[in-house]
Amino acid sequence: MRYIKLLILISCGLSLWVSPADSAESPKAQVKATVDQVIDVLRDKQLQGEPLRQTLSSLIRARFDFTIMSQRTLGKYWRTATTAEQQRFVSLFSELLEASYIGRIEAYSDESVSYGDERIEENRADVATTVHSGNTHIPIDYRLVLQGDDWFVYDVVIEEVSLIRNYRSSYGEIVRKEGFSGLFKRMEEKIAELRQSAGETTSQ
Amino acid sequence: MLNIHKLVLSLTLVLLFGVCGETWAANDAGETKPDSLSATEQDWTQLDEDEEELVVWDPIEPFNRGVFWFNDKLYFYALKPVARGYRAVLPEPVRESTSNFFQNLATPVRVVNALLQFKGRKAADESINFVFNSTFGLAGLFDLKVVQPESADGEDFGQTLGHYGTSPGFYLVLPILGPSNARDAVGSVADSLTHPVSSPYYLQMKQLEIIGARVYQTVNHLSLDRDTYESIKKEALDPYLFVRNAYMQSRAARIDK
Repeated sequence: MRYIKLLILISCGLSLWVSPADSAESPKAQVKATVDQVIDVLRDKQLQGEPLRQTLSSLIRARFDFTIMSQRTLGKYWRTATTAEQQRFVSLFSELLEASYIGRIEAYSDESVSYGDERIEENRADVATTVHSGNTHIPIDYRLVLQGDDWFVYDVVIEEVSLIRNYRSSYGEIVRKEGFSGLFKRMEEKIAELRQSAGETTSQ
Repeated sequence: MLNIHKLVLSLTLVLLFGVCGETWAANDAGETKPDSLSATEQDWTQLDEDEEELVVWDPIEPFNRGVFWFNDKLYFYALKPVARGYRAVLPEPVRESTSNFFQNLATPVRVVNALLQFKGRKAADESINFVFNSTFGLAGLFDLKVVQPESADGEDFGQTLGHYGTSPGFYLVLPILGPSNARDAVGSVADSLTHPVSSPYYLQMKQLEIIGARVYQTVNHLSLDRDTYESIKKEALDPYLFVRNAYMQSRAARIDK
């Protein structure tokens, strides 16, 4: 009886000890799962138009933290924005990034992706990937933050160019010159444009 | 007056990354965040400590935007259609070999700049590949990759200047060549002295041959490119700002390596 108690205690202790490392899958595995799923969906010729967009959207939203990306993109302008402006921005920015990301992946869906090193530091991680297209190899790194058991992307670095830092400078300049209304108008137009061109390619 | 061959090469660069000037501003001071904060508590409007806010000095923006517009038209109405026709005629392996050939040909520029930065290992790797590719690789048509260099990015004089602390100066968009900055524009001129095609010291090609070689290289390059500039134009709210920042980031990263 004593032994059984001891065994239970040990196994409880073990499971407690193991669980933090075990329950959260590695950032690399999580990124790979999402990228592979996105590529699978894109290769599935059955899925087209609006259902395709919806499926991709839910895959991407499960892996990207658009709120953090928005805060990082707006920088000091985030702090001066009203709550309504912040919400509007997050929603437009998510749609815009989604449309762009899908476009990029779509262009490379016939190419292979290989996964390099992952670097974990506290609740942040970097996962290196490379897209292979003929003789060219394009390094794409994902920056992630741990929330609960899941790693969320907050930046994508393509050939050493951070997309969020790029947006940060462009969007900052647009807000400075044209205010939030000017920025929102431009974003809406861009989303409409991207949607339309995506529609054209899928209907071809 | 204008060094056309350099312009054409730069255009390719510009179209891909833009060539621009950059100045760095420090992060907003005094807002350090402890690492122990969870993601939700963290102030995500601040960049990380190892990142710097990139501020471009662009005093001649209206002029630069004009040239950017011109280069955009040149790309869509001249270079791209030619590249498309060329792609239809020649199979991809031939175009890849052509690209290898030009890449190999420019090795002296990269070796000189690696040496100027005392990157001995890089200079040696480049030289070994140059010897093998130029001979067994049939004048560079085949990249034998005898040595796998640590990083694929080649050195140029703009990077050499940056390595020794020269700031990029003002952002500059060059006609045909595309985005650049004061430092890198000077660097391109210096590199043209060591490049076999343009160097006045060896080969000594005629001006027209130099231009021809550069145009051909650019067309070949674009025939292999997968519409990089098109996707930037499609996605960016302001392609001019996108290219300017991307070029700056890319140059800064290459100088750091």
